[in-house]
Amino acid sequence: MLRFDNVTRTYGSRVAVDHLTLSLERGELFALLGHNGAGKTTTIKMLVGLLKPSSGTIYVGPYDVTHNPREVSRLVGYVPDLPFLYDKLSGREFLRFVADMYGMPEAAAKEAVDREAERFQLKDFQDQLTESYSHGMRQRTVFAAAMIHQPDVLVVDEPMVGLDPHSIRLVKDLLKSYSQSGKIVLMSTHTLTVAEEIADRVGVMKSGKIVFEGKVEELRSSIPDAGQSLESLYLALMGEGEPSE
Amino acid sequence: MSDAARVNDSPPMAMSLAYALPTHEREGQIFWRLRVLMVRAHLRFLFHHARLRTSLVIGLSLFFWIGLFVLFYKGFDFVIRYVDTPGSRYHADVMLFVFPLFFLSLQVMLIFSSGIILYGGLYPSRETEYLMTLPVRDERLVYYRFQEAVLFSSWGFFLLASPMLLAYGLVTKAPWYYYAYLLPLMASFAYIPCSLGAICCLLLIYRLPQARRIAVGAIALAIIVIAYHSIWKTLEFSESEFLGNAWFKETLRRFRFAREEWLPSTWLSNALIEAVRRSHNNPRDLPWLAAGKYFVVLVSNALVLHLAVIWTGRRLFRPSYWELHSRRAKKPKLTLAWVDVAAGWLLVGFPRQTRLLIMKDLRLFRRDPVQWSQFLIFFGLLLLYFANVDRFREHKGDINVMTWVNIVSFLNLAVVGLILSTFTTRFIYPLISLEGRRFWILSLLPVDRDTILWSKFLFAACGSWLPCAALVGISDVMLDVSIMVVAVHQLICLLLCLGLAGMAVGFGAMMPNFREQSPSKIAAGFGGTLNLVLSALYIMAVVLMTALPCHFYLLSGKTDLPPKLLQPEYLRFWLMLGIFASVVLAGIVTILPLRGGLKSFRRLEV
Repeated sequence: MLRFDNVTRTYGSRVAVDHLTLSLERGELFALLGHNGAGKTTTIKMLVGLLKPSSGTIYVGPYDVTHNPREVSRLVGYVPDLPFLYDKLSGREFLRFVADMYGMPEAAAKEAVDREAERFQLKDFQDQLTESYSHGMRQRTVFAAAMIHQPDVLVVDEPMVGLDPHSIRLVKDLLKSYSQSGKIVLMSTHTLTVAEEIADRVGVMKSGKIVFEGKVEELRSSIPDAGQSLESLYLALMGEGEPSE
Repeated sequence: MSDAARVNDSPPMAMSLAYALPTHEREGQIFWRLRVLMVRAHLRFLFHHARLRTSLVIGLSLFFWIGLFVLFYKGFDFVIRYVDTPGSRYHADVMLFVFPLFFLSLQVMLIFSSGIILYGGLYPSRETEYLMTLPVRDERLVYYRFQEAVLFSSWGFFLLASPMLLAYGLVTKAPWYYYAYLLPLMASFAYIPCSLGAICCLLLIYRLPQARRIAVGAIALAIIVIAYHSIWKTLEFSESEFLGNAWFKETLRRFRFAREEWLPSTWLSNALIEAVRRSHNNPRDLPWLAAGKYFVVLVSNALVLHLAVIWTGRRLFRPSYWELHSRRAKKPKLTLAWVDVAAGWLLVGFPRQTRLLIMKDLRLFRRDPVQWSQFLIFFGLLLLYFANVDRFREHKGDINVMTWVNIVSFLNLAVVGLILSTFTTRFIYPLISLEGRRFWILSLLPVDRDTILWSKFLFAACGSWLPCAALVGISDVMLDVSIMVVAVHQLICLLLCLGLAGMAVGFGAMMPNFREQSPSKIAAGFGGTLNLVLSALYIMAVVLMTALPCHFYLLSGKTDLPPKLLQPEYLRFWLMLGIFASVVLAGIVTILPLRGGLKSFRRLEV
């Protein structure tokens, strides 16, 4: 369903993503882990059509992202790390705009806006201008916008940053149940506990390369001395060991 | 898990493919609806929360428009009275010099401004980035941002051209169809350079993403040099030839390039000249039709270029976006600059904490090109103008020229002050509000709050005084004014810097806005607008209080001044009184806002 085929992206002489090959199937929640600058955001930006791979191909369903960005965007919902909203629109107007852009007819768009407002608990503030929203309210609205067309692939860049515990719970439940409903969720995160809790598979990136890809249990068995938590496994994989007390 | 978060009710088939994507027309309607909603919300905000700013902007725009209208009306009246009426050869010759040159200049500016605005709207914009992840056609996205670029780049053209063309129509008693043509002519003309700017922008980013700034800068510099050279050549005639027959002929010949038939500015000029012309009982001579032909040429070219923008957007936008965002980010070398070293020496007399805070603000200023580039552009333009005001020196003995020299020198002082007031409002006023977000850093340090505010004041006052004093000094040297006037100007300049800095820092501390992160939005709020208005009033008051006595004092003894109070001995007294009043006023506008600001800042809870 989603395939990175030997994808490389360079910035000048710096290789941000190095021959990435990865496949994700329906019903899978995949967490992309790695240090800052490891290539996670570049990978996501290539997937959503904001960057072009220097070489290799990314397929979403039957479509090549580079050549069919419009068709791909119908299948993908994207939640960036810094949520964008129109300050002078209310949450409801913003969601309606996005629904219209996906070609939803009047009744379906209205229904979808109500459904997402309900799901993300936006009802209390959805008629206020978004300029008055807190970070959590903005993030939830952006989530609602990304899911308004029920995309086959949900791409989320750092979903937990700045969220309160209630919103984190909401987002975790949503991502898990969304993947269980037969969709693909690709999430990049630094919050290892969240990845450990909800991800079906994790991919660890280091200097643009995937250094591990598989289930957390597989990682445990591949580094038996590193401990049980994903955090200690991750640090061992990165060659940094346990942090000193 | 909350029920609300469950999504197991998703339909088996991908919902995202269940609907056909919007057609071209539908996409356009969605964007229009988006714009209408945002404009409506913005107007509501302006009406409820920014009445002062809105009234000020509308009032000043009207004032500017009426001023231009009167100026153009008088100018065209002069042409009609002393040259000839519409339809005559001389009238056409003169207007075919004025109009094409005027519109050609605006045409070049429109190309640049629309290209630059489109670049800002398309490439570094987070909105565009977001829209690119939606199923929006690339050409629609480009067109959506292009519409904004057209609006923002051409409003100045309409503000300048509308009073001019209206005045021309009224002076020449133009027929009704002249007025009917005006708006469509201006709109179709403006669309052409805007489209060219947009296409150039897309092509430049597509082909030369690395060198885009150098390319634009080089072209702009070349145009400025050519324009400057042409103007200089026009003014270099000897006094006896200046404004004479030979001068006119030579000037018309020199600016012949502005009347080339392939230029849209020429089509617009011809259309206007034809539209005001009256037919002399010749049934075959139809001025409305002749004007209409030029109008059709303008519209058809605008439409072709519209298609070209759409086509270029479809073909080039996404590849150019990719190309631009695939560059390796430059990491600036953060070394101790000579400015820091110089500032360290200059600030050696201040307490250590104050010095460190000023150095911090100086570094932030130095590393933010938005701030210093605007400073550089405005002050650079002023420098260019001041460096060329020395024509008066040739006629220094003439009492009329002397009067003008004095007026111009004080006007220059006022202009420096007014530009400085926009900078203090835009960059100094928001400093405390911006500090609020990182206030925890300062509040954890053993620094007194008063020290923070004083350091901002000193940074603003000292930082603005040096360039302003230098500019005013250059103006005085070029105008060759007396030592007394130089001394008065330097004193007033110092008072202006202190007062404007005091107001900006004081009001900024009294009315902070910690929710807003954008300095321009902070400056555009009520406090910023109030600061700008009071700064302008202060500048006018201080300059007038010294300019008038100084003016009459210089004239005393050289011309007959009948009233007793305008005799030299009294004028010296008036001048001293004016200077004294200016110092008192400067003291008030510096101390009162600062005191208010200090009080508020001490009580502030962040």
